[in-house]
Amino acid sequence: MSVIDLGFIIQRPPYKSETATLGFTHAISYQVVDILLDDGQGVNPKVCIVGEGVLCCLSGQKAMENYGVTSLESHIKNALLVDLDLYVCKEDLERFGITEDKLIDAEDMGADKKLQIVPLGEIQKILNNTKHILAF
Amino acid sequence: MKLGVFVNDYKSVVDTVDRFTAEKLGLIFIQNGVFHTTIKENGKSSALLDKTANLYVLAEDLATRGLTDADVDNRVKVVNYGDVVDLIFNEYEKIVWL
Amino acid sequence: MGTLTIGCFASLVGSKSLDFTLKLAKAAVDKGHHVNLWLSSNATIIGKAHQKHLKDYSHAEKYVRELLEKGVEICECEACALARGIQKTEAIEGVQWSAMHWYLAKIYNSDRVVHIGGE
Repeated sequence: MSVIDLGFIIQRPPYKSETATLGFTHAISYQVVDILLDDGQGVNPKVCIVGEGVLCCLSGQKAMENYGVTSLESHIKNALLVDLDLYVCKEDLERFGITEDKLIDAEDMGADKKLQIVPLGEIQKILNNTKHILAF
Repeated sequence: MKLGVFVNDYKSVVDTVDRFTAEKLGLIFIQNGVFHTTIKENGKSSALLDKTANLYVLAEDLATRGLTDADVDNRVKVVNYGDVVDLIFNEYEKIVWL
Repeated sequence: MGTLTIGCFASLVGSKSLDFTLKLAKAAVDKGHHVNLWLSSNATIIGKAHQKHLKDYSHAEKYVRELLEKGVEICECEACALARGIQKTEAIEGVQWSAMHWYLAKIYNSDRVVHIGGE
């Protein structure tokens, strides 16, 4: 009986396609996967946000107002609220000139977790240690 | 890790491939990715062909595009769907689609 | 023999990634492996019955039915399907409808996973 780590790679920017959204929503569904598994079994998503995927992490998104869809910001906040580990590539944030104050935070919702800004090397280690990789 | 990567497009994914660290890396060229194995742009082969010795191209996707084994860079092995299944199960632990 | 779970998010007609998915699934099951196929996003269209095979377009219904007969478990995302106006009454018989945790559960019990993302 065990829990396995699954690597989720979010590498696409937001909104033109729904790919990034699906990455987060699939990861969030880990909460209920035990319904379909035996006792003690589960999955632990390790969500790695890299490349243009870091653009999903900008706060102040107005997707609901403009498109009538739940924003990625909401999904990311929910992901943090359900204690998912979200790792954002430090080098890619720097490449796009995105500072930490521009990033999404779920503290106002009572989340214990925050976006974890880590070097690419750390993300590589995380992905090496997962059982499977799902690149969205 | 032993990582198999499906390259399904001709656009440059060299930077992305470079970001993976693997004890064994395999590149499986399918769909428009097959052009990486046949085209020499401005006389130069695709940089992806220098990334690993484990290079494979799907025969069916070559033929669909009017290409033959003779067009394929000699570093690349031409495979069929059955071979791809064997690569997935026998050679690589994790698979990524680019 | 092992278990392969494939998640496909690409659409029928407009991308050949779904065609690739079906061919890969068939090759794997023909080699004796067990295959699970999760369809999400635009890929959910292939769960809809009465597709007309026109030669300019990819078609999937025949291949989906063959895979089901060979024991491949095929499941589509109910939310993605409903959002696209696909009703359960229109579904190909044998294709399951569930939510994303189905995919994660199948992945848990798989030896290999191929996640084929959307465009």
